[in-house]
Amino acid sequence: MEINKFERYWLIAVGLTLGAFIAATIVAVTVFGIRLPSPVERVNPQRLDQTIFASPGVRKIADNRYEAVIVAKSWAFNAGPEAGSPPVLRFPRRSQVTFYVTSQDVMHGFQIEGHTINLELVPGQVARATVNFNRPGEYNIICNHYCGAGHHVMYGTIIVE
Amino acid sequence: MASITLPQLIEVPGTPGTLKLVQRERLMIGAHIITAMLALMSGIFMGPFQAFHRSPTFIQYFPTIPVFTYYYQAVTVHGVMNALFFTTFFIIGFCYFVVERSLQRPIKSVLVGWAAYALMTIGLVIMLITILGAPQQSAVLYTFYPPNIAPALFYIGLVLLVVGSWLASANIFLTYRDWKREHPNERVPLAVFAILVNFIVWCVATIGVAVEVLFMLLPASLGILKTTDPQLARTLFWFFGHPLVYFWLLPAYVSWYTMLPRQAGGRLFSEPLARVAFLMFLVFSVPVGLHHQFSDPGVSASSKGIHTLLTLIVSVPSFMTAFNVGAALESAARNRGAKTLFDWPFKQKWGDPVVAAQLAGMLLFIAGGFSGLINASAQLNATIHNTSWVPAHFHQTLGGGVTLTYIAILYWLLPAIRGRALFSKPLALAQVFTWLIGMTLFGLAMGEAGLQGAPRRAITGQAPYLSPAAAFWLDMTAVSGVILMISSVLLYVNFFGTLFLSRQPAPAGEVPIETVSSDRTSPLWLERWGIWLGALGVLLLIAYGPVFAEVLDFQEGWNILRYMPTSNAPMP
Repeated sequence: MEINKFERYWLIAVGLTLGAFIAATIVAVTVFGIRLPSPVERVNPQRLDQTIFASPGVRKIADNRYEAVIVAKSWAFNAGPEAGSPPVLRFPRRSQVTFYVTSQDVMHGFQIEGHTINLELVPGQVARATVNFNRPGEYNIICNHYCGAGHHVMYGTIIVE
Repeated sequence: MASITLPQLIEVPGTPGTLKLVQRERLMIGAHIITAMLALMSGIFMGPFQAFHRSPTFIQYFPTIPVFTYYYQAVTVHGVMNALFFTTFFIIGFCYFVVERSLQRPIKSVLVGWAAYALMTIGLVIMLITILGAPQQSAVLYTFYPPNIAPALFYIGLVLLVVGSWLASANIFLTYRDWKREHPNERVPLAVFAILVNFIVWCVATIGVAVEVLFMLLPASLGILKTTDPQLARTLFWFFGHPLVYFWLLPAYVSWYTMLPRQAGGRLFSEPLARVAFLMFLVFSVPVGLHHQFSDPGVSASSKGIHTLLTLIVSVPSFMTAFNVGAALESAARNRGAKTLFDWPFKQKWGDPVVAAQLAGMLLFIAGGFSGLINASAQLNATIHNTSWVPAHFHQTLGGGVTLTYIAILYWLLPAIRGRALFSKPLALAQVFTWLIGMTLFGLAMGEAGLQGAPRRAITGQAPYLSPAAAFWLDMTAVSGVILMISSVLLYVNFFGTLFLSRQPAPAGEVPIETVSSDRTSPLWLERWGIWLGALGVLLLIAYGPVFAEVLDFQEGWNILRYMPTSNAPMP
């Protein structure tokens, strides 16, 4: 089968483009540390009281390092009594926060504006992601997976001070 | 439908011997196309009202959606009817027509063809009644993820559609087998080659959704299963969900590769490479589903990496198509007097709705292709996953490239079947360009809103968290909805006008189908389907074996029975 000269050039250009995309993907993982979610643990969504999700909230684990445990339920995020509802979480600038989030009922989503964290909350699965908050400001946590009539009012706020 | 009279047959100029299609088969193809357009009509007019609900400004003036009581019920109708029923009916009708004309023989079994049509139509009716009858419970959208469980009839409607499509696939495969027996050393015409690839992809892909519906969702809906595993269900769905988009796309490619060059007045640049491109779709379009699940917690990052690579590979045949079809269009323009490097896109038949619709579709599809590459890049996905960027993307691809090409096909196929000229060419042109403008604005506005954090599938017009920038772009989305509403009305005026009002006879020679392959260089082993199915099997094992092992988690038993009780979210 004969391949025309111009078509060959085109295919080389396509190869280089896709190579650049692959390289960018690898750089994103290795240099910028943007990791995709990977399995953490399974939980029974009806027995969350026997897991870390029994008491949602933010815990400081080291200097500028925090753990946030959050339960999504139609149609609110529960980040503990201190955070209120809809929850407001405050972190100092340059803090690193690891979120542990799960859903207690249907599918939900967990996205923080302006940051590379975007999780599907699948009932039965623990979703984990680590985020660096470097820019002061207010960022919404948005449920971005359809979860019923109150989906569009399911949100929270993160304030980076 | 029964009142439509059909001419006995249509002269096919330039083909050896006129094809004798009997009337009842033409009626069958017509039934598929008309049902497809009715399904689209029931879904398409909900679109603009959804856009109004997404806009903080427009929702004040349009606080309700006609016919439907629940916003997500309208979203469900829009998705299920446009993406599942319209496409499947249209593709099957169009592919029957191409196979019959191209191979110059009737499809294998007219009886099976009608049986398939009947199953799918019953499925369509059941689906519409279910969605209308159970506003909240059946609002599971066209992705129907558990633990939201719809009424059993919703799934039965889907099953009937898929089983019908399997019968149609078998009909097409057997027609090809009969032809091949009579022509063992001939290359099958490119259009049929592509159609075979398309239905092979469809049959492999639908295994995933069939398992999900038959063994998880339907039993759960009937109360036989008390629990379900949403992670497993999502994985099965996306095994089906991505190849589904190629099932929509490849018939459009059939038109671009095998019909548009002739319609535009040129010739295809390279037929062998077209065949290679289609075979790449056969092998690579199924093992890529995880790029819809980059944000899923229950699937390992390494498997997601493999699917990222395969997704980038499946963009190669589309790039090949861009070159091949682009070169064909250039040759057409050169024949029409284009001289310089960049004047050929302008020297096209922009005044011919059949050509213009496909060119407009391509422009949208190019934007959709690049927004798709962004989606497929695992980390970039984190900024746009589940935001309105995603519907922007698939309205550029499915709503733009694919649908405009189907409309182009409709503009010559409907007259050919009806035996009457298109009702109005100026209306058709106006429809094409308003669609292009509307969908371009929709893609831009929804994409920008998504980058500003606006989620997909939400009444963002009433969301408390919307930023001013997102609100502005969602208002622009509503404006695009108005433009697309006008375009849709024009489409249906022409559709019903051609069916009932047109008095001119259909112009001769407008059926752009090749009956003998002009290709003399493609190796015959490209048609050894066993090789390619084998390659697909190996790739599926590599790409999906570890995923299902992980999701099923055999260590703790078959987890299909684990976890979530099944219910829809309650209303306040």
